[in-house]
Amino acid sequence: MSCLHDHSCEDHNCSADWSLHTHIDLSKVSALNEAVAGSVKSVFKPWNRRLDTSEGFLESNDGDPELLVFIPFTSDVKIKSISVVGGSGGTSPSKMRAFINRDGIDFSDAQNMQPVQEWDLNENLQGLLEYQTRYSRFQGVGNLTLHFPDNFGGDTTQIYYIGLKGEATQLKRDVVATIVYEITPNPSDHKTRADAGSLAHVE
Amino acid sequence: MVLEATMICIDNSEWMRNGDYSPSRFQAQADAINLICGAKTQSNPENTVGVLTMAGKGVRVLVTPTSDLGKILACLHGLDFGCEMNLTAGIQVAQLALKHRQNKKQKQRIIVFAGSPITYEKKTLEAIGRKLKKNSVALDVVDFGESDDGKAEKLETLVAAVNNNDNSHIVHVSPGPNALSDVLISTPIFSGDGEGGSGFAAAAAAASAGGVSGFDFGVDPNLDPELALALRISMEEERARQEAAAKKAAEEASKEEKGGEQASSSRDTTMSEAVNTSAVIADDKRQNLTDVEAALLEQALAMSMDGAKSSSVDMIDADMSDATAEDPELAYALKMSVQESAGDSSTHSGMSKVLEDQSFVSSVLNSLPGVDPNDPSLKDFLASLQDQSETQQKRKEDSPEKDGDK
Repeated sequence: MSCLHDHSCEDHNCSADWSLHTHIDLSKVSALNEAVAGSVKSVFKPWNRRLDTSEGFLESNDGDPELLVFIPFTSDVKIKSISVVGGSGGTSPSKMRAFINRDGIDFSDAQNMQPVQEWDLNENLQGLLEYQTRYSRFQGVGNLTLHFPDNFGGDTTQIYYIGLKGEATQLKRDVVATIVYEITPNPSDHKTRADAGSLAHVE
Repeated sequence: MVLEATMICIDNSEWMRNGDYSPSRFQAQADAINLICGAKTQSNPENTVGVLTMAGKGVRVLVTPTSDLGKILACLHGLDFGCEMNLTAGIQVAQLALKHRQNKKQKQRIIVFAGSPITYEKKTLEAIGRKLKKNSVALDVVDFGESDDGKAEKLETLVAAVNNNDNSHIVHVSPGPNALSDVLISTPIFSGDGEGGSGFAAAAAAASAGGVSGFDFGVDPNLDPELALALRISMEEERARQEAAAKKAAEEASKEEKGGEQASSSRDTTMSEAVNTSAVIADDKRQNLTDVEAALLEQALAMSMDGAKSSSVDMIDADMSDATAEDPELAYALKMSVQESAGDSSTHSGMSKVLEDQSFVSSVLNSLPGVDPNDPSLKDFLASLQDQSETQQKRKEDSPEKDGDK
């Protein structure tokens, strides 16, 4: 399919570029001020389905255009650019503010804190616009929070698609889940498969 | 089992001195709060509950959200009453306390006890509600105490503004004999969003109401397992005994049926009643068609054929039903003695003619519950009935003695 970029698509696959959505931990994605609980998950999909609204879209509550989207990743990612497809009739978001690696932000936090980066958005009904990030600040992102404080005058804010372009590292940001401390550790209790074949072992 | 952090807002204004809820409004509120804390912590051990007061010198947080029940119960003692309740400030402080909860995975919930009159406008309350909804905080309101006009409406609009997917509830409790906590137990405030604390709620209901709600025998198995077990076993034994008695009654009814095939209206009604009851009882015994039953059936049929007047056979059936149920040999002996004393040929021949009518017999058998008309032993018996009736008629002319053995 033609992607309407000013390059020929044989060079690279546009879908593959916007592939960071596969590294999103969808079960833990959440949003504040969404009209339908859970509808935020429908916003993360492959690029070629960005205009597909069969599974619903993210809409804010009536009369309140603010939206806050929390996106955790399954491993640390580096985000190069972000694309947002909004609704028509003034329901597209007009500003976007991003926070990195912060849990549990709510609206008062988001309004008071300084974001890592913020953008003025244009109406992007076809999903062709992308907003570059200051790449050096978006290395090692474990979770991303996007705050959309305002829209173009509509009663609600509608978002059909959020695309993220970048790379995924295989590192995980979270530290150890459980630690067992032993007073007198015995290495033979902790044999792994790798050790089983090694020449040296400790008694 | 939803993971939740809850803030309970207590109304300790002057209006709480009133005694229309026993023993006083404040005490009823404290009891209800105790129960709620217990229910929340029981439904999920990681739930936390915090408490703040809305009246007095100002909104004061007594306990930040914690899962330590003792701390919560302790802080409810020694509370003093104060001026007026400040609902908006109370809710905002509760929201702030929830925002700083330690486990961000918990959902946020505020429970407000609104006993004093509400002086705020509907619009203010609606704005507060929308703000709560925006931050996905659920709200439960207990409307009790003062009920000036408009208070219920205002609180309803507040809860409607917060409500997102049925997570917020409002309960109106009017003063009466029931304690505040009893009324609350049955509401969704207690049972979470339909799950969770219902087990605890049932236990609490049983304990406080002293009634049988929620448990089979009015005894909480958690509190007294041995007593509950003993009660259950005795109930089962009683049930088994009743089933055995009912089974006997069913057999008796079926024998009476065969004995009384004359169209006597009174007997018909009694038989139909007996059939009904036996049908009801024997429905689940349909699988229990044993050989014993078939044998008894045959005996009964033979008895009615060879025996004396049907009425006497009936009576003897009734007398002997208990015995026959237990001891087929005894039944046989009794039957023999009955047949020897028989003497009425007219009724007998009438009976035999009726019985000869194969279709009639089979229709009767079909109508009996627990009888499978395709049972081969039954079919053999029916075939032999024909022969037997002829031979017996001949014998009747010869001698009064009969051989009723089948």
